[in-house]
Amino acid sequence: MSGQQAHRAGPGWFTRVFAHGLSGWVTLITYIFMLAPIVVLIAFAFNAGRSTVVWTGFSLDWFEVVWNNRHIARALQVSLIVAVASAAISTATGALAAVAITRRQFLGRDALGAALAAPLVLPEIVLGVALLVFMSFMGVTLGYGTMIIGHVLVSLPFSTLIVRAAASSLDLQLENAAADLGANEWQTFRMVTLPQLMPAIFTAFILSATLSFDNLVMSTFTSGVGTTTLPLRIYSMLKLGITPEINALGTLLVVANVAILFLVMGRYLPLMLKTSRR
Amino acid sequence: MLAPSLLLLTLFVLVPLCVVAAYSFALRDSYGAVLPGFTLDNYRDLFQAAYLQVFVNSFKLAASTTAICLLIGYPVAYFIAFKAGRAAPALLLLLLIPFWINFLIRISAWVVLLGRGGLINQGAIGLGLIDVPVGMLGTYGATLVGMVYAFLPLTVFPIYAALTPIDPRLREAGADLGAGPAETFLRVTLPLSLPGVFAAALFVFVPSMGVFAIPVLLGGGKEIILGNLIVQLFLEFRNIPQGAAVSVLLLLISGVGILLYMRALRRVEAMK
Repeated sequence: MSGQQAHRAGPGWFTRVFAHGLSGWVTLITYIFMLAPIVVLIAFAFNAGRSTVVWTGFSLDWFEVVWNNRHIARALQVSLIVAVASAAISTATGALAAVAITRRQFLGRDALGAALAAPLVLPEIVLGVALLVFMSFMGVTLGYGTMIIGHVLVSLPFSTLIVRAAASSLDLQLENAAADLGANEWQTFRMVTLPQLMPAIFTAFILSATLSFDNLVMSTFTSGVGTTTLPLRIYSMLKLGITPEINALGTLLVVANVAILFLVMGRYLPLMLKTSRR
Repeated sequence: MLAPSLLLLTLFVLVPLCVVAAYSFALRDSYGAVLPGFTLDNYRDLFQAAYLQVFVNSFKLAASTTAICLLIGYPVAYFIAFKAGRAAPALLLLLLIPFWINFLIRISAWVVLLGRGGLINQGAIGLGLIDVPVGMLGTYGATLVGMVYAFLPLTVFPIYAALTPIDPRLREAGADLGAGPAETFLRVTLPLSLPGVFAAALFVFVPSMGVFAIPVLLGGGKEIILGNLIVQLFLEFRNIPQGAAVSVLLLLISGVGILLYMRALRRVEAMK
């Protein structure tokens, strides 16, 4: 970065925003609107008193309350199990479908591509209800199994799209070379295609796990006795009223989510910066 | 390689949706338990005033959320795409952060901010705008604020994605031919970005119809929308046939939304 650029990025940003007229103003106000509530939320997690609006002094007591809340610990455990299991299934299924769609010619290929993206535009609440009705119709007890399946349906379109985007941009010459050298289809996939797709598969896994971890709608219909996830627990806590305990729990989740976001984006951010500098 | 995804979609999406559709025509006893038989009563009952009010509420909320999100999201996407320069990736990342924070936690922040003792009331009293705290929580406005807050990032990304590939030479050509900034925007930039606007509208409108937590937490549950109705019918009243009919209706509304989206997209493509 040259000195001149660094200077431009420095104190001039405020005037630059306002020099840009309406869109600059709207953007500035929008970012305050989007981020300020989160700052306030985090600040009051450190409040000494029970109030989430009146500041009475700094303390870490509410983090201790969260730490000692057995319900939250149990819900966190359920959420993590469902997130990891559903993300693993979603990523594996999505990656296989993505490779098949980008590599093979078959009847109904476009239709399948559309069907895989369909849960994205169907209302999640209807998918949840349908799964609930179907499972009770089949006599299946609601619990981990039903919830994991439900979360896979929610994340599958995303994991498929991510791996598909990566698979369609790969250099086919490598795979052709492997085939020329006598590798069969499975060997080519495992030793040539798969290693190149690992970054996309990793991203798909993290995104799927995050979607599952935050899910409320699908969980509302597919969770059973003893499988209350963290969002379900938070929802019932919120309906009873808000104490800084929610803020403390929220702060911990914010830190965890942002850390994961940077972990994933860390791979892509340098790339994005490079392309924007063109 | 396709077997797992086909199996998942067929067994857990297609078949369950068919079961729901079948239940929506089933008879029920006075407690809502399913009885064998065929009836259209579950759909006929949807024309009762109470249900019609729910549809009106849902449509009003989804439509206003979509409109506000587009009105705010477009200038933001425009700024990031054309004016932010090297700050663009950072701005996109900042917009991702709230999107990745548990949405209930984000809504709880608004419950606190809009409360009688909340910072917005405190600030307004401090500035002398009002004398006594205003009860904002439990109003339609509060629900709308929460909805826009939840869905706004979903509008910025598709519009941004549609704006960035626009060839700068097209915009320059407009200016060279004597068009002012407003005319260049209306006749070059806006038409070219319409596919992104349609996608954004679809991404906001469809999920807005099925939301249930925001109207309960911020709107005080006063205005029932389709999402609340489905949760109540299935999980509280256990009235599966009636709930199935409402679900089928919501599915049809989404289908209409998708068809409208595809038609609008084709029309824009034809214009080029």
